Amino acid sequence: MKFKQALSIALSLVFSIAALSGCSGGSAPAVDSQASTSSNAPESSAPPNDAPSGSARSISVAALEAGYGVEMWGKVVEAFTAETGIEVELTTDKFIEDVIGPAMQGGEFPDVIQVSTGREKGLTEQFIKSNQIADINDILDMTVPGESVKVSEKIAAGFTDTKLTNPYSDGKTYLAPLFYSPCGLFYNAGLFEEKGWEAPKTWDEMWELGDKAKAEGIYLFTYPTTGYFDAFLYALMYSAGGPEFFNEATTYSEGVWDTPEAQICFDIIAKLAEYTNPITPAQANDTDFTQNQQLILDNKALFMPNGTWIIGEMAEAPRADGFQWGMTALPAVSEGGDSYSYTWFDQAWIPSGAENKEDAKQFIAFLYSDKASEIFAASGAIQPIKNIAEKLEGDNKLFYSIYENGAKAAMGNFAAYNATAGLGTVREVFLDPVNGLVSGNITTEQWLNDIKAASDLMRANLK
Amino acid sequence: MRNNTSFRLFLILCIAPAAILFTIFMAIPTFNVFRMSLYERGAYTPDELFVGLGNFEVLFGDVKFISSMQNTILLIVFVTIFTFFFALIFAAILTREKIRGQNFFRVVFYIPNILSVVVIAGIFSAVYRPENGMLNSTLSMLSGQTVQILWKDQPMVIVSIIIAMVWQAIGYYMVMYMASMSAVPESIYESAGIDGASRTTQFFSITIPLIWANIRTTLTFFIISTINMAFMFVKAMVAKGMADVGLSFMYNQKDAGLYGYSMAAGVVIFVFSFLLSAAVNLVTKRDILEM
Repeated sequence: MKFKQALSIALSLVFSIAALSGCSGGSAPAVDSQASTSSNAPESSAPPNDAPSGSARSISVAALEAGYGVEMWGKVVEAFTAETGIEVELTTDKFIEDVIGPAMQGGEFPDVIQVSTGREKGLTEQFIKSNQIADINDILDMTVPGESVKVSEKIAAGFTDTKLTNPYSDGKTYLAPLFYSPCGLFYNAGLFEEKGWEAPKTWDEMWELGDKAKAEGIYLFTYPTTGYFDAFLYALMYSAGGPEFFNEATTYSEGVWDTPEAQICFDIIAKLAEYTNPITPAQANDTDFTQNQQLILDNKALFMPNGTWIIGEMAEAPRADGFQWGMTALPAVSEGGDSYSYTWFDQAWIPSGAENKEDAKQFIAFLYSDKASEIFAASGAIQPIKNIAEKLEGDNKLFYSIYENGAKAAMGNFAAYNATAGLGTVREVFLDPVNGLVSGNITTEQWLNDIKAASDLMRANLK
Repeated sequence: MRNNTSFRLFLILCIAPAAILFTIFMAIPTFNVFRMSLYERGAYTPDELFVGLGNFEVLFGDVKFISSMQNTILLIVFVTIFTFFFALIFAAILTREKIRGQNFFRVVFYIPNILSVVVIAGIFSAVYRPENGMLNSTLSMLSGQTVQILWKDQPMVIVSIIIAMVWQAIGYYMVMYMASMSAVPESIYESAGIDGASRTTQFFSITIPLIWANIRTTLTFFIISTINMAFMFVKAMVAKGMADVGLSFMYNQKDAGLYGYSMAAGVVIFVFSFLLSAAVNLVTKRDILEM
């Protein structure tokens, strides 16, 4: 009897310990199961955090698996370790926010995060809003590892003094501009050649073309999701009112949405909504957006706003005979006006909660080295580095020359504001309603009134 | 006496793992939801600011929250009605009638239940495709003209979600009802048949009352799970803001950097589902019939 009791107590103890031990162990295994975590460290090496300082330095890097693929990250990390001896634990995923999010809520941050603004999860925006991004201004004065030049001498002019890299207008850089891409309207250049059409120079020509295409059963416009309107709206604001209007609008100046320039923007978007392929909103979600992109490949719509990553993203998709990618800047508002192409760039940053900030800065500095940019460029990821244009090949050569062919570069974004209950995000307020415009569920007036109300609140909560 | 103490110790040790796990993973987080709803904070910051009931005040005036709760209620009502209707009918047919390949149908109906919601979203993305999607193509064939219904756009989007959710849930509940229906003795049906009761009368007067206890339990289950499933379906199937439900509103607020506000929405949804299941339990109360 006694033996049995003792045995049962011992067993239940073992079970409870086993059950509880499942709770410990931290977040690392959970990350492994979902994401491809690759470490270039030798297989037998100890976990990075346990390594005694000095002997084996290591950092953790979390990068988004974007249209460029992940292969380039593995190679760059390898090159970095070879150069500096700092080991890197790399985590990449298409939904990187979900992979690193839980650990970050528990207070464990990767040392370098490469996730850009404008994603649905708004991770970067959240970090900007809550002042959790480390100041990396001193990277600009650092020497690129393995080279003798400073980082600031490599980055092309203008990229480190935008509202996106310096969100707090204190003159300091917080986010490193990583890959850039001119955004514009993408179309089937083959079809245009066949029909004898030309990419429109003004919006009036655009509407004319829209009518011509309609006669042939082709809609003028489509968009992957409403998120792609950010670059579109920015460029449109520039072409409607130049940099002054853009700056006023993106800092939510009082009455800015009552100006004639704003009216021009909304009129164009409202009219464009009429010319949009009506099935677009039904597919403008994260599951089906490639179907909208397919509309261009199938000659069912003429233009869509996008970035140069589209070539790689749709590389495997079937397409109409004679299909050839073309890209044009946004048409000018009137004859002789300026046409603009928005320069989108990805960002890399260091969370202020990161443990190895100095090594992380080394890593970001290394991203601008010749070795790294060669690896990135091979995957189509072009960095804002001086003289990069000379290294471009194929389609990219054409796309990146857009600014040499008369289009002006539009840069910047909506200013950061403190998160406020009841106030939507920039995307919810400015971009998402486009779906409703196309399907006719809201009117331009309703949309405009919502924007005005939200814009007043955003101004009141400006950072 | 000694025996008694060691037995007690044994009991405590047996309960301890469950109790500890429950406290760590259920009680503390639930308490935290309530606590955080009174604060304003970002998802990743440790700094928080006490705002009292301010979050709730804004919440009840937030048009988006109200419309997302309306969507939630709409989904609960319609998905529940359709799922239970079809699950009961199919279960009755498969248990009472002699049909070839009963087991085959049983498996076929159950399959959606083991698919993940993301897979279902992928399947329905092909079904709902505006051009050459399965549904529109079928409708075009039947009507003889090109039908192009935008299933994932307003106003059909909520119907599309209802269809997908019903499709997913039927099998599981059907299997449950089949189990309890087969426990009803054949002799009752035989004597009812001799008395001249039709199959429909038998279904409503014998089958339903005798499995009522089962229906009642599953109903409460189902309503609570619908609140969760609705979120997953909406998240995986349609664009943000197209047909938001209560939990997706909550999730979006978190992404906007409003963790406290999102928790306030969580508290309201918690209370809502709690009250709803209590109400359902109350109105479905009947005297249990013994066979």
